[in-house]
Amino acid sequence: MRIHVKRTGGFGGIERNATIDTSDLPDAEDWRALAEHAVAEGRDTPPVGVPDGFCYQITVDGHTVHCSDPRLTDDQRKLISRVLKEGS
Amino acid sequence: MDITRSGHEPVFCTIVPPHLLDRLSQAENQAVAGAARRTLVQDEANRARRLTTAAGTTRPTIAGTAEEKPNRTIHDAENGTELPGTKVRSEGEEPGQDATVNRAYAGLGATFELFLKSFKRNSIDGNGLPLIATVHYDQNYGNAFWDGNQMVFGDGDGEVFLDFTIPVDVMAHELTHGVTQYTANLTYSGQSGALNESVSDVFGSLVKQYTLGQTADQADWLIGAGLLHENVQGVALRSMKEPGTAYDDDVLGKDPQPGHMDDYVDTEQDNGGVHINSGIPNRAFYLLATRLGGNAWERAGQIWYDVLTGGDLATDCTFADFAKATVDKTAELYGEGDEHEAVLKAWSQVGVPTA
Ligand SMILES: [Zn+2]
Repeated sequence: MRIHVKRTGGFGGIERNATIDTSDLPDAEDWRALAEHAVAEGRDTPPVGVPDGFCYQITVDGHTVHCSDPRLTDDQRKLISRVLKEGS
Repeated sequence: MDITRSGHEPVFCTIVPPHLLDRLSQAENQAVAGAARRTLVQDEANRARRLTTAAGTTRPTIAGTAEEKPNRTIHDAENGTELPGTKVRSEGEEPGQDATVNRAYAGLGATFELFLKSFKRNSIDGNGLPLIATVHYDQNYGNAFWDGNQMVFGDGDGEVFLDFTIPVDVMAHELTHGVTQYTANLTYSGQSGALNESVSDVFGSLVKQYTLGQTADQADWLIGAGLLHENVQGVALRSMKEPGTAYDDDVLGKDPQPGHMDDYVDTEQDNGGVHINSGIPNRAFYLLATRLGGNAWERAGQIWYDVLTGGDLATDCTFADFAKATVDKTAELYGEGDEHEAVLKAWSQVGVPTA
């Protein structure tokens, strides 16, 4: 499973991207469950964010959803922070 | 509430006494004290002038409906994401051990002070709205935002950004999003979104200049100076003076802000590049303020403030709509002399038409 996170906006307006391929990871099943939840709770179009809040695009195996600060679900927040930290 | 007394009280000294600015340097304390003395002298003159210009304001402060003092509450999210989090400091309480809390309290006070003293605006809504901020939001959160009701500040990501309560202009920027929401309510997308961003940078920088007692020529016109980690190649997040020059770094990339309409960035990211294209109206304000000279919050700031709060802007207004409104407001406030010529020239220099 290939998970891509794009973060835009924020006070600095600086874009960040990170991708992780979970196929060979020992916790691939955890990643899959987390990603499925995060995507299920996402939106097809970018929600209207709050001033300076980050906007996120989560793409899992080619399917993209949107979400934005501060209204992230716990799974979205966890997935985003893990991908941005552990991905490349 | 003692209305008569509160209307003539030296609010600056009330809200930011030197012992509360415990994390600022001694030099900064002295500058703040100097600014307080100066504003006391200016206060009566400004008050008289506002009476003559208040007719153009759709949402004037109704004198006496709310006490002209800040009502700040700082909360601690304790690195979680529940808002507002645990209340850690209320208005009038002494500073505690947490420098971030103390900075947020002082920064909100400084911003309240500029809006009240210079523009006769009593808080975000013009009627004493409580100022609520949360610090220590989330983990490694390199951001700050206005959520529609309150300000939120992260501790920084440990790599690129430090604590977002370090620069007073960043805190003032967030509070100004609240002022905009209660006034022009500029839609946070495309050109109106970039204007929303720019207005926050303008008043953010003005709060810093006012606090330091700097004239337009003395100011650095930077947004977020002191916010970048020492390893980052850059001086700040944005430069109003020279958009596009604030940083150039391996990790961050290069500051993408344009300073002229020729370089306007069309993008779907960041709500249509609201943090990018804001460089254009930012530079127009800088050019106006430095051409006029003196304290930027006086004439240049007054024009921007009156346009923002005057009720004549469409929520989806363009750069050209906003520019034209500033030209009209300038003529109304100052006639067709130097100020009028300066505002026309400022917009012309950034390629925004005013006719
Ligand atoms: Zn902003």
